[in-house]
Amino acid sequence: MNTRQMHIDPYERNWMIFSAVMLVLFAAAVSVAAFGMGIEVPAPEQRVDPRTVATDPNSPWSNPGLREVSPGKYDAYILARAVPQWEFLPKELTIPAGSSVSFYVTSPDVQHGFKIQNTNANFMVIPGQVSKLTIRFDEPGTYDFICTEYCGSGHGIMYGTITVTP
Amino acid sequence: MNKYLLNGLYGLLGMIMISAIAFKIVQPIKVLPRLQLAPAFNLIDQNGQQFISENLRGQFVIFTFTYTQCPEPCFEINETIQEVQSRLGEVQLEGIPVTFVTISIDPERDTPEALNKYALSLGANSDQWKFGTTTNQALLKTIIGSGFETYYEKKDDGSFSFDPTFILVDGWGIVRAEYRYATEVSSADRILRHLGVLADEVRNSKGTTKLAYEAAHLFLCYAP
Repeated sequence: MNTRQMHIDPYERNWMIFSAVMLVLFAAAVSVAAFGMGIEVPAPEQRVDPRTVATDPNSPWSNPGLREVSPGKYDAYILARAVPQWEFLPKELTIPAGSSVSFYVTSPDVQHGFKIQNTNANFMVIPGQVSKLTIRFDEPGTYDFICTEYCGSGHGIMYGTITVTP
Repeated sequence: MNKYLLNGLYGLLGMIMISAIAFKIVQPIKVLPRLQLAPAFNLIDQNGQQFISENLRGQFVIFTFTYTQCPEPCFEINETIQEVQSRLGEVQLEGIPVTFVTISIDPERDTPEALNKYALSLGANSDQWKFGTTTNQALLKTIIGSGFETYYEKKDDGSFSFDPTFILVDGWGIVRAEYRYATEVSSADRILRHLGVLADEVRNSKGTTKLAYEAAHLFLCYAP
């Protein structure tokens, strides 16, 4: 292409080249990360076997729910699943105000989302990996949690409630 | 804008991006994240001696939590420790001692004498593998539950429901890795690999390289 003939300003041309280089570099980075190395979530919460995570008696998700780790501090093991029905297990959690809850969420089947209304909890739930986030609930009330992954028929009906008692 | 300046800018941006990708691919520096401070504690060891967390500074420590009456294989916690212990020679530790600490979650039955018997039955060398207990249940809950964020609870039949957890703490008393559930790679393999990564950091993190390590702590998020 003869740029002189097309009267492209060198400044504009430079930015076009720069944008093209950026695209190529990012495409290369994403391809290398995805195909060359396998995408992984950061340490330390790592991969679990999605085929057995909900059934293995040694897995905390075989008996999902709330556990008091120490006074005022809880672990919530939550399973987001599509089979046999679209739901979170458990659907209801009750904690006293002022508690901090570490959510450990995983999925035995497809990708899900996890968002708790009126908090900054909002993350992906990926089969074979564990998503962890700690939230402190100071205000009494009810906090609904929903699935934010809308790429299947049933994600929209997945919900649950956290009740924070005074 | 000056043409040379612009070309220089392209070059710089390109180099930054290429080196970022290269850093990710080659992984010249691997760091374990600094997760949180490990809790301080004051326990009694299997010989009836006082056993405090300050005594573990300067060592890599692997904490586990179990009780002597736990029906074997009991999540294979002790088997994993024995495997790590027997394979420590595979890791270049540069003389940094590795200590295993098993804290009992059942202090009512796990007296120092019971722990001593348990340690003998496991063939544990008391310099390298410490067992801790206390008579203060509230303190224990604070150390294990609040400090190490590990769940345990006594069931009505006297047994315990708990999660098999390994926690790797560095020589400064900072938690560097947690192993909470069965993963594709065995815990022993991961612990040994992570001990190597930690030892590399201690050995190499000097002078200018120390800055690179600190940068890696800030910017890297891959699991070594």
